[in-house]
Order: sequence, then structure tokens, then C-alpha cells
Amino acid sequence: MSYNCIVIVREVWDTRDLTGSVLADNGSIKDSMLTRFEPEDMNALEMALRIKDEHGGKVTAFSVGTPKQVDVLRECLYRGVDEVVRVDAGASSLGTQAAAQLLADAIGKAGQYDLICVGVTVADGESSMLGTHVAGKLGIEQVSYVDAIEEIGEGRVVGKRGIEMGYEYIEAPLPALLSVGVALVEDDPRTPRSAKAMLKLKAKKAEIPSADVDASAVTSPVSIAGREAVPERAVESKDVAAEDETALKSMLDDVLKGE
Amino acid sequence: MSNILVYAEIEDGVVHDVSLQCLAKGREIADASSGKVDCLAVGSGIRAAAEGLGAFGAEAVFVAEDAKLEQYLTSPFKKVVSDFLKTNSYDLILFPATTVGDDLAPAVAEALGVACVLHCDGLAGDALTRLEFDRKVSTTYKAEGCTIASLKDGIAVAGAPDSSRSAQVSDVAVELDAASTKSKVLRRDVAKKTVNLKDAKIIVAGGAGVGTKENFSLIEELADALGAQIGATRAVVDAGWLPADHQIGQTGVTVRPAVYIACGISGAVQHRVGMLDSGKIIAINTDKNAPIFKIAHYKIEGDLKEVLPKLVKLIKA
Ligand SMILES: Cc1cc2nc3c(=O)[nH]c(=O)nc-3n(C[C@H](O)[C@H](O)[C@H](O)COP(=O)(O)OP(=O)(O)OC[C@H]3O[C@@H](n4cnc5c(N)ncnc54)[C@H](O)[C@@H]3O)c2cc1C
Ligand SMILES: Nc1ncnc2c1ncn2[C@@H]1O[C@H](COP(=O)(O)O)[C@@H](O)[C@H]1O
Repeated sequence: MSYNCIVIVREVWDTRDLTGSVLADNGSIKDSMLTRFEPEDMNALEMALRIKDEHGGKVTAFSVGTPKQVDVLRECLYRGVDEVVRVDAGASSLGTQAAAQLLADAIGKAGQYDLICVGVTVADGESSMLGTHVAGKLGIEQVSYVDAIEEIGEGRVVGKRGIEMGYEYIEAPLPALLSVGVALVEDDPRTPRSAKAMLKLKAKKAEIPSADVDASAVTSPVSIAGREAVPERAVESKDVAAEDETALKSMLDDVLKGE
Repeated sequence: MSNILVYAEIEDGVVHDVSLQCLAKGREIADASSGKVDCLAVGSGIRAAAEGLGAFGAEAVFVAEDAKLEQYLTSPFKKVVSDFLKTNSYDLILFPATTVGDDLAPAVAEALGVACVLHCDGLAGDALTRLEFDRKVSTTYKAEGCTIASLKDGIAVAGAPDSSRSAQVSDVAVELDAASTKSKVLRRDVAKKTVNLKDAKIIVAGGAGVGTKENFSLIEELADALGAQIGATRAVVDAGWLPADHQIGQTGVTVRPAVYIACGISGAVQHRVGMLDSGKIIAINTDKNAPIFKIAHYKIEGDLKEVLPKLVKLIKA
């Protein structure tokens, strides 16, 4: 039994090792900020590709944005995805719910599918549950914080869902949507697959097709009213030499005073 | 006027602390705007815990109880909550930012076609704020109409129960159809809670730098000498050196002890967010560039295998 999988991928701000301010004087995000492939989306992509490796089928990647904002789709092609679809969001930036509507419209037009995988986006703190909104709009079952697929077959998928203090195993009928978590445990799917040179060459020239959806028809009930820089935490810190017992003793006395 | 509904997450007969914090925050906003705060509890065997919510400030408590709701699943819970909201209207609906709340909040928002903002650190009037970009930016969201939000641990202090207050408790009819019962929980592997890190005054936490499971005896000895609880990073839990209930950080617990002693912990942001509000932070690390030193009040550059026994000796002296 082969599966048609869809992955939703996003290009996001790279929040690793940020130094200095993120905001420009006018309160917008600085032009110098870099972007990257959303790491949890990368997990989702890897999950879908592994299903294809094992069972056959097809993987299609969807992303919302202008042609400039969806380099991630080209990267998907490098990594072995069969087809990519760009979903045009029009001029303005959309909220999560509006983006979900456009994605659901585009996916609805793309034909039969068995599984949709998308990351939960925790890494940058903007933990919007895009997947939940897409699943709701498509009217399919969804499981969130999935760290691994335990089983897929017979019209069902079993996801290993990371929860507080452990895991739970959820069985959902296909088609289903999985919001993929961090998957740090066991086998880390974040390792990218080797970008095959041939594929790379082909993909460089590949046209990125866009879906026929109407961005002007969607609205988001939420908008960003403002952004403010959060000042760096100032900690008064003391070096204590590891060998200096007097210093260690006085440190202990200081911190335990209040106890 | 703000009429607020708080989703009371109840597990093993106990209301989740962050739900109580949502209730305290909701109370604050409702009092300032002469509105009201109600609670909705969904599950099985939750009635006693739900009734207790009156003492925490809820005016009315709605209980949706059904044996089929014993374990959390998106679809049936979404159905129950959104059915309830179709006949009961609120301006603001607050969920705890847990793996249940963050899953259910957008699902309900989707079902009702209303606004949803997750992981808020602040709530004032109709402005919802959230830390983004590695905690460097605070973004304010505004929503139109009924708004659903999930609030993070630390949003408010869950007050002590006031037994002179009580809520009007009513049952909510649960109607689950075939469409909302398609998925199932096959099994759960969840660690039993054996430590109470949240209430600990002193925490001695170990990271991958402890090196081996056996070396954790060094952490234990210091914790014993101080009457402290033992915390850990995810690296330690993943390695199987300590059970998951010891994990501190983004996917573990958030703690605010008076004293936090970080031993062999690099200080990754996902760990820092769970402990950076500690009163005094002592960090022991062999790497002088470890990020944990940026937030430590006392920096000890050295090998924990040598430093920890010294500290134990000094405390016992
Ligand atoms: C979405 C997500 C959620 C996460 N949630 C959490 C979470 O809730 N909690 C959490 O902790 N992590 C979490 N992590 C993982 C986190 O990113 C780090 O990987 C983890 O915190 C690192 O643990 P550590 O500091 O123990 O290990 P390391 O980063 O390996 O650090 C070990 C440190 O020990 C020092 N050291 C080595 N030997 C010695 C010695 N003899 N004496 C003294 N020091 C020594 C080293 O210099 C080093 O700094 C999460 C990650 C992701 C992506
Ligand atoms: N309702 C929402 N809940 C959570 N996150 C949101 C919401 N709306 C927008 N975001 C996030 O805010 C960021 C900016 O969104 P945008 O409006 O598309 O530029 C994105 O990363 C979204 O994930």
C-alpha cells in the first residue's frame, strides 16, 4: 500500500544565536535577519519521505508566500519531494488562520491524499498551531506534538505524541494531519537527506507552480498591534574560584541566608 | 465588560496549576471591568475537582462529564467545548498553555471561526502579548470579537482557595457523534510524579555534564545536605539517568526556587526558560563560555566532580 503525503513547510526567521536587537527603529523586524527552513517542518518532511521510502507513493510540499519567501520549496525538491506547490498570499502578511484557509483551499484542489505532516513551530517561540487550523478546515482528524509515527496501514496512522511527563499513542483514521514535534528522542529525523547532485541541478531550473487560490478572500481575526524589544536580563554575577573554599563558603552563606 | 471562560484542565482529580493561574488572571480582568469568570471542565471523574473551582474565584462552573471523555483527544473535546460555546457566549476564553490547552484552543477557535493566540505571557484589556525571537521581542496581538488564548505558566499566581466562596455548578449535556469519536488513545507512558519541583525552595539540577547515571550520587549528596529537590535537563532524561518528572524547561516544568544550582548544564534556551526566574543561580561548568553563565549570579568554572563534594563538605562542616 503506497501513500500520498503532503508536507506543509515554512521559511521562518532564524532565531538561533541572536545577538543585538531584532527590531529596526520603526519597530519592524530588521532586514539583516536571516531566515531558515522551520526545523519542525524539516522533521515533518523527513517523516513523509521515510513513508515514501518504505511504502512508496508520493510527497508533495506546500508553502505560503511570495516566490522569494518560499526557497524552502526548492530545498524540498533537493531532498526528494515529488511535487511542490506555492500558495500565493498576496501582498500583505497573513495571520495563521488566514494562511491555514489558503492552504486548505489549495490542498483541497490538489486531489486525493492520505496524510498531511507539518511542524508545530516551537523553536522560534511563535508556536502557532497552523496544522490544527488546516485540519479543522479540511475536516480531518489531527494529532499534535507527534514525535514519531509508530505505524501506518489499513487506513490508519498511530502517532507517538509527546506530552508532559511522557508519551501517548494516538490512532487516527486516514486521511489525517500530524503536527510534528521536536523528535529529539531516539532517532533524530532532523538530519537532512543528502541532496543528490542530479536532483539539485534539475531543481534549480524547476518552475515552482502556484496554487489557484484567492488570497483577497481570506481575513484573519488576529493582527499584530506592535512589537517591543525586551531588554537583556542584567544579572550581577560573581566569579567564584573552584579551589577557593573560603569563597565557596561565603557564596553558600549568601544564598542560604534567606532560607 | 469582559465575560471570561476558563478551561479547567483536570488530571487525576487535580486542576492543573496553569488553569488556576488562568482563573486568577481572568478574575483580575473581570473585576476591573465588572465582568464575570466561569469555568468549564471536560472529562470523566472530574466533578469534585470542578466543584472546588468556586473557592478559586469562579462564579459558575460547567461540568461536561462522560465516560468517553476519560482521556484527552482533540475531536471529542473540541465538539463538547464548541457545542457549549454555541449556546453560552464569552468575550475571552482562556486555556492553559499545556499540550492539552495548546491543542484544544486552536481546534475550538477553528470550529467557531474565532480568533486564537497561543502561548501568551501577558494579557491586558484586549491586548495579548507573547515573547518571540528567543525572548528578545514582545509582540502584542489584538483580536476582533470573541478571542481564545492560551496562557503560559507564570501568567498569574494561583491564589489560595477561599472556602467562603462557592460557584454555581451545572452539568453540560455531552453529545458525541461518530464524527467526533474516530480517533483513540491506544496507550500512555507517563512518568508518575515523584518530585515536587514547583514548590522547592532549593533545586540542585544536573545536566549531561554529570557524565553518568552513577555520578548523580554527587547531585543527590548535595541535595540531601541542602534539603533540596533534584532537577535535570532533557539530555539527562533522554539518557535515562532520571525520570521525566525531574525535567526543567520548555517541555518540562517551570520553576522559581530561591536557589538554583546548575551542575554540568550548558544553558540552552529551552532549559533557561524553565528556571531563569530563580532567586539566585549558581552555575558549575567546565566551559567558561557556557550560556548558563550569562544568567548565573555565581559562576564556578570547574569540574562538578570536584566542586560538588567540596560544597557538601562545607555545608556539613
Ligand atoms: C523544542 C525543544 C524543547 C526542549 N525542551 C527542553 C527542556 O524542557 N529542558 C531541557 O533541559 N532541555 C530541553 N531541550 C533540549 C535543549 O535544547 C538542550 O539540548 C539541553 O537542555 C541540553 O542539556 P545539557 O545542558 O544537560 O547538555 P549539554 O548541552 O550537553 O551541556 C553539558 C554541559 O556540561 C558541561 N560539563 C561537561 N563536563 C563537566 C564537568 N565535569 N563539570 C562541569 N561541567 C561539565 C559542558 O561544558 C556543557 O556545558 C529542548 C529542545 C527542543 C528543541
Ligand atoms: N492567532 C495566532 N496564534 C498564534 N500565532 C500567530 C497567530 N497569528 C499569527 N501568528 C504568528 O505570528 C507570526 C507573524 O504572522 P504574520 O501575521 O503571518 O506575519 C507568524 O509566525 C505566526 O505564526
